Amino acid sequence: MQSTPAHFRFFFRFLLPAFLLCLALWPAAGRADTLEIHWATASPIAPGGTAAAPATPVRLPDEWANSRPGFGGPLWYRVQFQPLGELDSDDLTALFIERVCSSLDVYLNGQLVHSSGRMTEPLVNNCNHPQLVVLPSALMRTGSNTIDIKLAGYPLAEIGSRLRAGALSTLLIGPQSTLALRHARLTALQVSAPQAVSATLVLMGGFMFVLGFINRRESQLAYFGALSVGWAIIDARLWLRNVPVLHLGHSAAEFLLCAMLGFITWAAVQFLLRYAQVRHRLVDVGLPLQCALLALSLLLAGPSHLNTLANAWYLVLALEVAAASAWHLHHQRHTRSAWWMAVMLGTAMLAGAIEFGSQWTGARPLVAHLAQLVVPVIFVLVGLRLVQQHGRALYHAEQGKAQLELRVREATAEIERNFRQLAELRVEQVTERERKRIAADLHDDLGAKLLTIVHTSDSERISTLAREALEEMRLSVRGLTGKPVRLADALGDWRAEVVSRLAQAGIEGDWEAPEDLPQTLSARAYVQTTRILREATSNIIKHSGADHCSVTAGLTDGDFHLVVQDNGHGIAAEVDGRLDRGHGLASMKNRAKQLQGQCLVESGPGYGTVIRLTVPLNRAIEGA
Amino acid sequence: MKTILLLEDLPEIRVWLRKLVLEVFPGSTISESARVHDAIELVSAVKFDLALIDLGLPDGSGVDVVTKLRDLQPDAQSVVVTIHDDDEHLFPALQAGAFGYILKEQARELITEQLQRISQGEPPLSPSIARRVMAYFSAKAKPQPTANAMPNVSLTDRESEVLLRVAKGYTLPEIGVQLGLSRHTIADYVKQIYRKLNVSSRAEAALEAQRLGLFR
Repeated sequence: MQSTPAHFRFFFRFLLPAFLLCLALWPAAGRADTLEIHWATASPIAPGGTAAAPATPVRLPDEWANSRPGFGGPLWYRVQFQPLGELDSDDLTALFIERVCSSLDVYLNGQLVHSSGRMTEPLVNNCNHPQLVVLPSALMRTGSNTIDIKLAGYPLAEIGSRLRAGALSTLLIGPQSTLALRHARLTALQVSAPQAVSATLVLMGGFMFVLGFINRRESQLAYFGALSVGWAIIDARLWLRNVPVLHLGHSAAEFLLCAMLGFITWAAVQFLLRYAQVRHRLVDVGLPLQCALLALSLLLAGPSHLNTLANAWYLVLALEVAAASAWHLHHQRHTRSAWWMAVMLGTAMLAGAIEFGSQWTGARPLVAHLAQLVVPVIFVLVGLRLVQQHGRALYHAEQGKAQLELRVREATAEIERNFRQLAELRVEQVTERERKRIAADLHDDLGAKLLTIVHTSDSERISTLAREALEEMRLSVRGLTGKPVRLADALGDWRAEVVSRLAQAGIEGDWEAPEDLPQTLSARAYVQTTRILREATSNIIKHSGADHCSVTAGLTDGDFHLVVQDNGHGIAAEVDGRLDRGHGLASMKNRAKQLQGQCLVESGPGYGTVIRLTVPLNRAIEGA
Repeated sequence: MKTILLLEDLPEIRVWLRKLVLEVFPGSTISESARVHDAIELVSAVKFDLALIDLGLPDGSGVDVVTKLRDLQPDAQSVVVTIHDDDEHLFPALQAGAFGYILKEQARELITEQLQRISQGEPPLSPSIARRVMAYFSAKAKPQPTANAMPNVSLTDRESEVLLRVAKGYTLPEIGVQLGLSRHTIADYVKQIYRKLNVSSRAEAALEAQRLGLFR
């Protein structure tokens, strides 16, 4: 639900208000076959009594607030009428009273035909309930008929709203079928609609209040909930005949109703501020104080001044709400929903103005009824929008949470990967350090001992063995076993050693080898080949008596060849075969075998010596 | 008559070396030491012509003595005599100003010959060390952000040529023949290469110190 679907939006913004408007305008049409009575005589004493009462003619509708201020009833109205002719046989004659405040009894030709409820204090509140009285045919006379209406109401001063002061509207006499329809429509507009709206507001308000209460950061929801529920209670005055607290007297009910407005203002102003993300300490403290002040002032003024004081308070509260609205709109003027909120607030203001205005005129036109309905409808719309915003915020929060989870998972994976790499690196570092430590230890201890043997031993054989052991040790600790040597580098090392030693011994050396070979030799093959070559050179220097020596290196089919040839007097067969004294030929062959290669010695007395060494490069690497 | 410093911690080897040195340089005065600390004190007090310095000693590395000798007595020749044959140990010693190195376990006659050559002013240079030196200078030749702060220490073409031939296994006399130069000239090139290695490493050390904020 990224945004409200377009048709939903259309429904809420245009169709619903239009539908409600049609419903409200329906009963406006008048009927021709009914009798409208605009004049009656009024008397405070019941007719037919012993005392002669001065009956004064009054024009209907009669608003007591205008015609007899301070009067509390009861008042008797009398009208005369001729029966309507040519009624359908199955139709009845009925009396329709659009508005009566607060309670009435109806007498037809002296017989009680209708009672709207209790006629003594506290009165039943019928102000918003149109009355339909069926006039029984049996009581109807062919000539002049008399209707007496006993009306009980409250003087304006004791009532918070002029709309609940005593009043009697124009009387209509006509066919019951026609008037019943009209009665039903008016009841629907004035009673059922407010009831439905009240129920909706209570439900929605309760829901919003809980939502806002749980989620303190969205306190505007709680205030809106309180506002809605409060308004629903206020609206109950329209349809509730018997207020539960009525046993305390109607003044208590009026007091509560007026005091309620203080709370509603509190909720409304706070909602408007919080909705614009603003908190004001002065407002937070001031509004509850105002509620207390309002209640206190009403109590002190007493029931007789209630109306005056209440009207003054209405003005103050209305101004407060208007100021809060203006402030809210100013603060939110750059947001997307500003125009929408402006329309809602403007309409509510207009409705409020109409309601306030009707307090003074006393008129009860259709617009006044509509205005009463408009405010709760606006509440419902604003409530729906709040729920929508809340839902959307929730959805975004969920999405954000999902994204955050994803990112956390990614970050965790990244950290784990880094950690693994770090651990590997660390293992390498530790290994390296440990290797160096072991190398240092071995050199210091074992190396020193072997070195001492090399230089103090009388036996050349033992010196050589110790020297080799020393080389072996170096090779192991240096980890050189795994590190191959470039053949070109190896050839360089060998050449330097062989040629300089031969030159030192006064033997002419001749070295032939291809340059820049890219192949590599395993470290072990390098060391073993070095030893073979060293041994061969030593043999030539010590035993051959040669004055020329040539070394030829080369590659064929992945095998490395080394041929060492001298022009000395060669090795005697018995030396080669059995004695091998000091020549090390056997160890040379043995070393070559270890490399899966071979070392051939061709020699004969007077022919010189040729040593052919073959080392397979690849296998040598694998064998390492 | 030479004055020689002998730094070696193993008594048997020290005795053996002393005998060997006396054979090569008869009648020379030999100061012996088994510890870096003592050797540095000797270097401050006595003037030496030649110093044979072991690397792995109980109280430190012989490289420190090489450095000290280089600072105090630039004319003295430091020769590293060691059991380590790997670049990791030898290269720092050469950078510190060592004139060459001798591997201890070599046969007596080989060491004798090397010592003689060194005394004649011909420093030893193995192919593997030559390769290491080439790699070091070619890495330095690459453009660096701090290039202007570095003294321009680079090898001449001739020096590079000599290094390359050494790396391929040619002996210094052979290289002399190939380039049509005397073996003394070739030896001078090698000495020059060692000197540049030392100068360069000193410059690097100074630069590193500057980077770490030791100098302002």
